[in-house]
Amino acid sequence: MTLTVRGIVRTISELCVTAGALIVLLVVYLLFWTGVRANHAMDDEVGTLQDRWARTPVSSAATPAPAAYHDGQPFAIMYVRRLGADWHKPVLEGTSTDDLQHGLGHYAGTAHLGAQGNFAVAGHRRTYGDPFEDFPTLGPGDKVVLTDGVTWYTYVIDKPPYLTLPDDIGVINPLPAPLDRSATPYTAPGRYLTLTTCDPPWGHSHRLVAWGHLDSTQPVEQGMPRALLS
Amino acid sequence: MYGWIWRHLPGNAWVRALISLVLALAIVFVLFQWVFPWAEPLLPFNDVTVNGGGNAG
Repeated sequence: MTLTVRGIVRTISELCVTAGALIVLLVVYLLFWTGVRANHAMDDEVGTLQDRWARTPVSSAATPAPAAYHDGQPFAIMYVRRLGADWHKPVLEGTSTDDLQHGLGHYAGTAHLGAQGNFAVAGHRRTYGDPFEDFPTLGPGDKVVLTDGVTWYTYVIDKPPYLTLPDDIGVINPLPAPLDRSATPYTAPGRYLTLTTCDPPWGHSHRLVAWGHLDSTQPVEQGMPRALLS
Repeated sequence: MYGWIWRHLPGNAWVRALISLVLALAIVFVLFQWVFPWAEPLLPFNDVTVNGGGNAG
């Protein structure tokens, strides 16, 4: 190609068109393809859990201890009716990028399900299936139900989501201790739940946090808790 | 750029069109399979944890 003005203008135009096409493809990837992949991965994780639980039937005579939490492995399924009638997601141990592409992530080092302390879970607001897209609609009285294959745990949200900064790590303390001390509904140790996601939906400047307390538990052989039946 | 590629593809117009299509699809596949998964964690949508503003780890 001879270096004419026409050739230069043409090449620059073609590069611009190529860059535009790349950006469109990236948006398609983020909005659509990550969701397809995440829904597939989450279904796989839920299937893995249900297979594992089906292989080890629960006998009321000797209640087996819940399985240990292994990094990167699913260990529970979360149900939140407020986020959708059929909303259920696997919970994996750990909050690495890879964990959060396969489901919700349990902060390693925080309390186990139903235990004294704070069971803390993070999830995507946008991309990868948008699990926590409707996070701001959570409010007092909303039930967050989890099962580890042995027991159903019903937590109840106590306050509307609290908007905070990314370094406010006190929110996942055993007794939640946010920077704004008046934000926490709790003053004494208990069995708590913390959910975190990002805010604004496509940004990373803030975090949204919702707290709940353990309301009730029941063995799986008694069937689903009332919160999921109504 | 595209004109240069077109002139260097073998065959008649139909064969060139077919090769162009295959090349375009291959590029899209490479982007979706490797390039975007690499680039996506560098964007802010992964920061859903409270840990001092780093990545989700």
